[in-house]
Amino acid sequence: MNVLEVKRLCKSFGPIKAVDDVTFNITEGSVFGLIGRNGAGKTTTLRMMMNIYTPDSGEILFYGKPVDNDFKKKVGYLPEERGLYKKMTVLDTLLFFADVKGKSGNDIKKSANEYLEKFDLADRKTTKIQDLSKGNQQKIQFIATILHDPEFLVLDEPFSGLDPINTDLLRQIIIELRDKGKVIIFSTHLMDFAEKMCDYISMIEHGKIILDGKLSDLKTKYAKRNISMNYSGDISFLKGNPIIESIEDFGNTTGIRLKDASQIQNLLKLLVDKKIDIKKFDANDISLHEIFVLLAGNKAGKEVQNV
Amino acid sequence: MFNQRMLSILKRELKDKILSRTFIIMTLLVPLFMVIILALPTYLMTVDKDESFNITVITEDNTLTDQLKTEIGKIESVKQGLSKVEFLIKDETGLNDYIKENKKKILDEKITGVVYLPKKSTEDKLLRFYSKNPNNKNVFNRLRDSFNQVLTDNYFTGKKLSEDDIKYARTNVYFDTFRISKDEMIKAESKGNRIISFLLIFLLYFSLIFMGTMVMRSVVEEKNNRIVEVILSSVNSQDLMTGKIIGSAITGLLQMTIWMTPLILLISTSIFMMPEEFALQIDLSLILYFLFNFFVGLITFLGLFATVGSIFDNDQDAQSGIWPIMMLIMIPFFIAIAIQQNPNNSVGLIASMFPFASIIVMPAKITLIDVPQWQIIISILVNIFTMFSIFTLAGKVYRVGILSTGKKPKWSEVIKWLRYKY
Repeated sequence: MNVLEVKRLCKSFGPIKAVDDVTFNITEGSVFGLIGRNGAGKTTTLRMMMNIYTPDSGEILFYGKPVDNDFKKKVGYLPEERGLYKKMTVLDTLLFFADVKGKSGNDIKKSANEYLEKFDLADRKTTKIQDLSKGNQQKIQFIATILHDPEFLVLDEPFSGLDPINTDLLRQIIIELRDKGKVIIFSTHLMDFAEKMCDYISMIEHGKIILDGKLSDLKTKYAKRNISMNYSGDISFLKGNPIIESIEDFGNTTGIRLKDASQIQNLLKLLVDKKIDIKKFDANDISLHEIFVLLAGNKAGKEVQNV
Repeated sequence: MFNQRMLSILKRELKDKILSRTFIIMTLLVPLFMVIILALPTYLMTVDKDESFNITVITEDNTLTDQLKTEIGKIESVKQGLSKVEFLIKDETGLNDYIKENKKKILDEKITGVVYLPKKSTEDKLLRFYSKNPNNKNVFNRLRDSFNQVLTDNYFTGKKLSEDDIKYARTNVYFDTFRISKDEMIKAESKGNRIISFLLIFLLYFSLIFMGTMVMRSVVEEKNNRIVEVILSSVNSQDLMTGKIIGSAITGLLQMTIWMTPLILLISTSIFMMPEEFALQIDLSLILYFLFNFFVGLITFLGLFATVGSIFDNDQDAQSGIWPIMMLIMIPFFIAIAIQQNPNNSVGLIASMFPFASIIVMPAKITLIDVPQWQIIISILVNIFTMFSIFTLAGKVYRVGILSTGKKPKWSEVIKWLRYKY
């Protein structure tokens, strides 16, 4: 079932078309990734979803109803650029953020203390934010995002700046929240990360959605003509070969794209004939990164101004 | 506009500001400063009265000596033995010798001055005063009456005049000063209201800038810290701005009320004794008007300061961007000071009902003279209208400004923001 539907969203700032006819749906109990480069229109789309910006046209439906200020109470938003009031204490900060969401009282206090306990910050309740380490500030920010028990979470790179132990802790909490039926959106430009965490993705480029769907389906669709392989030897003879469309070197692996899926066996034969030492030859695999480069890479160049 | 989200922002703002160190220090320091200002005239007058002197009075013969001794002896500080007067009889040459001999004492102010009464002075009242500081009006004024008395008495004695005639002749001309006001009794004019008027405009000026800068800083901080986007995911920009401004305005009002307490005590009790010359002709309704006017003005200016804060993303740029607002505060401030000399001049009249200027000029004027009621009403209406217009305008710039980072926007871009549909 679609929890959130974004329909034909458009937004311009003066001459700049930041978001252009964006449509996607988010289903219950899923992790959704909105991916794209910096300035592609992710933030603007999210801001419209949060009702921070009013769209020029199009609409956003939450369980079939347009989003409004009350919808904000049901959302936990961790923006890419975060911040806290430096001079407030940890507990005051948490209670303030819950209060703006309309949640106050002893329940919230209790819940704040529980989260602090969980994140190993129970002894820092009266510490000022400015006296916390950056990692701890991140944790406080995350608690502030989920303290009011939102139905819908928007997280932008939540793991940056966290050590491995806290990363696991956070991952565990996110999965807990997903299992409780919360909808989670990741907006990121890190493809590896999106690939690991997301069930669904939408890729946005220059304000337009260029790819949208279930991650596994997309992979199957794009993997058909793709080979990912590890080898040693010189494969430069492949350049200019009529069956090859492109070759991408990703460091550890090399991605080869064929003009036609039926040529896979021919390619393998070609490599064996040239005595290339093949360590891995995966004919049905493509990383999200490769898909992204494939779709957006060629058009790279003009960075959109961040508004 | 008044919803739970806005109130959450307002509460945080109040707590943040009222408990801040700057606020507490300022709140305490300013009344101290006020007490000093108010007490200064009183203190100066007492100092003047207590100033002792050491005078030598030289006459050519002894005809007036006894009378002079009696009259000068009546001066308070002489009576108390703080000041000393020596009487000598010398002619002009003797006087010159005496001054030569005692030159060092005069320069060291061991002798405050030498008064010489030539024989002719019984006819023309022309005395001479030798001193290091002959313009010390204070000593001079107190002595003058005594000499005048003795010489007048001496002149009329035996001239077949009645005691009343002599008494009249003795008396100096004296001006009693009165202030004419429309609806009240004619009352004695006092310097007190001038001081209060100055104090009020100073406090207005100071507080508008102080609170304004504080709000501007906190907007810049929110923007700079990127906290604004987190907050905007919960409240809209209008709520955020309203909560912030009203919260700060309440803080400012609280502070101003605390600052007004010495004045309120002064009016309604007799804890402070003011010399009559400085007595105040103000009442509580003026203070209430002042506080109301201040609150409206504060909201107006805080709106402007918040707008500037939202345009820039660091303190330095913001500081350089506030000059238009500073002009809106400084020019009225100088007009308000200028009208102290003549509260009725036409610049003052226009400024007292002109948007922005009215906030500072009108209270200054009301303290000084009786302002017709219609002018006060126009001023209040103008201020309230300005407040709402600024609030709307500020909101439009603010909602775009707080989310724009990166390069410093041009003023022309800011004007374009007004038309953005957000």
